[in-house]
Amino acid sequence: MSAEVILPALPLALTQGDPAGIGPELTLRAWLERAERTLPAFAYIGSGDHLARTADKLGWKVPLRNCDWAEAAGVFPEALPVIPLEDASGAEPGRPDPATAAGTIASIDRAVDAVRQGKAAAVVTNPIAKSVLYQAGFRHPGHTEYLAHLAAEGGVEPRPVMMLWSEELAVVPVTIHEPLRRVPELLTTELIVETGRIVALELKERFGIAAPRLAISGLNPHAGENGAMGDEDQAIVAPAIAALQAEGIDARGPYPADTMFHARARAGYDAALAMYHDQALIPIKTIAFDDGVNVTLGLPFIRTSPDHGTAFDIAGKGIARPDSLCAALKLAARMAASS
Amino acid sequence: MSDQEGARPVIAVAMGDPSGISPELTARILAEPDLRGAANFVVFGDKRLLDLGITDSGVDPDVEVVADGAPLPAFAGRPIFVDLANHDPADLKRATPTLAGGRAATDNFRRALRFAHAGHADAVFFTPFNKAAMRFAYQGYDDEIRFVRDAIGFEGPASEFNVLDKLWNARVTSHIPLSEVANNITQERILRALALADTNLRAAGFEPPRIAVAGLNPHCGDGGNFGRDEIETIEPAVKAAKAKGFTVEGPFPSDTVFLRARNGDFDAVLTMFHDQGQIAMKLMGFDRGVTLIGGFPFPICTPAHGTAYEIAGQGIANLGATRAALSLAIKMAGDISQRRAAA
Repeated sequence: MSAEVILPALPLALTQGDPAGIGPELTLRAWLERAERTLPAFAYIGSGDHLARTADKLGWKVPLRNCDWAEAAGVFPEALPVIPLEDASGAEPGRPDPATAAGTIASIDRAVDAVRQGKAAAVVTNPIAKSVLYQAGFRHPGHTEYLAHLAAEGGVEPRPVMMLWSEELAVVPVTIHEPLRRVPELLTTELIVETGRIVALELKERFGIAAPRLAISGLNPHAGENGAMGDEDQAIVAPAIAALQAEGIDARGPYPADTMFHARARAGYDAALAMYHDQALIPIKTIAFDDGVNVTLGLPFIRTSPDHGTAFDIAGKGIARPDSLCAALKLAARMAASS
Repeated sequence: MSDQEGARPVIAVAMGDPSGISPELTARILAEPDLRGAANFVVFGDKRLLDLGITDSGVDPDVEVVADGAPLPAFAGRPIFVDLANHDPADLKRATPTLAGGRAATDNFRRALRFAHAGHADAVFFTPFNKAAMRFAYQGYDDEIRFVRDAIGFEGPASEFNVLDKLWNARVTSHIPLSEVANNITQERILRALALADTNLRAAGFEPPRIAVAGLNPHCGDGGNFGRDEIETIEPAVKAAKAKGFTVEGPFPSDTVFLRARNGDFDAVLTMFHDQGQIAMKLMGFDRGVTLIGGFPFPICTPAHGTAYEIAGQGIANLGATRAALSLAIKMAGDISQRRAAA
């Protein structure tokens, strides 16, 4: 994957996220740094008033312009394009408020509508706080599940797959937000195969990799050492690799997780599949702490997001780093151009 | 023996697996002038394999050879090499684990351990073993800890520590299936691991060591949403450890705790299981890592990397981890010999 900048013809749809979090200020800063970071055009779906107040408080001069999708790419060099939503006037940085939940959700809805109607190239989401949405009656487990719900066709929701991506490493946790003690029972051959299949397909279709190479980790220390430390790597993981290979996918492993992420090993694959959350998150955070991107594979549209949360504790102070958001914008554009 | 030489710690050195880079690493590390000046070495191995390492590396450490069973001479500025003559050169196969290699390595290690256990050395250091070869020679060889227990008959708590520059990683569980990890995380085990880490860190000069404790679950369980081990077990253990006077904090999410430690916030991270620590530590310094086996009456140190069969005999192996491992052994041995002198 080259670092070359490829710009899609359409603007990216950037959601507001939780308006009390760092999303608004990151958006402003990303726009201010659009030239040096060679960012693709994006439009913010949210309250222009809230964004203007955030800029004023920080003393940042950011011209905002309400526009529609067709105008956004043309506006972007001169002003931050805003697709206006109802005013989230209650929002105060660092003070999450369930009253803002409707706007947060509407922003996501509008972004998905725009990509599905061919008006935007990809969805890039600012962080939300699930607990705030739950208090307002939101019934989906999280951001990604909600996007899968919006992407349903004929009542069938696609199975989203989370990939953490950086220039140095792409890694997919096969199980995600589960207690560690439940991971062995949740891990099945089928789950690994399904995940690997989606990853291989998307690497081909959206990352321009003709024959994607997947490296699959083992569950146990030293990948179980031939069954000496747990039999799952032989009984569950190895058959999944064989099944993926039988489908013509270049999948290899199971590899000991502690030796598969260093630079020399990474050169041998395009994406790694990890068996549980921290097995994926530890290497990506260690390698790319500031500019890791969260990509959702398996949806009928492109979706990326920064790999951090709302950071309410520092919201409104102007100190949050926009690196991950900028990396998410650039990756979304690159994927759109490769699709 | 000069007074200065008598005050130096004594390190028992075991030569590792002969098929890989251990012979050349042994020759080179024993020749390092600053290390020779800081400690006295008694090396256990086959002199013919040391000669192989000398040829491979082009570095001759100028050892004083003593036949096995002969009385040891006084230290006179040169490493003493106890020639166990335990490996026929005809059996040497490069880049292949062999029974002969495993026998020699286990023999060297056992002799070094017993030498230290008898009070003749303050620390043990060894060049890399090959696990397959060790298993040929020693049925049931899991890791070094069990071997050491068997060799010296010691049953107290012991653990492996991974050391990268000034950052340490200790763990509550190690070489067990992932499915058994959660049930092995108890307050008692966490406290025992913390105490062992604290003792070893102090012996290496951290006063007091600042230890971060990792959580078990994603995002430390996210307030109980992804597991309650933090709430029910780890947090109470950290609280109890603080009450006992340890400088400890946590639990912290394991995906970022090592970055904080690397930035200097902590001296050590106590992880709950093997890969939680190993992934980050190996990423942060694959070539410089040191393994310390702590908890026995003397420290045991070795480079974290393996036998590197792919470059055996070429004399190009990186000496960094070997140097760091022997330096740590000398540092901790100095602490032990001082305490012994004070007692």
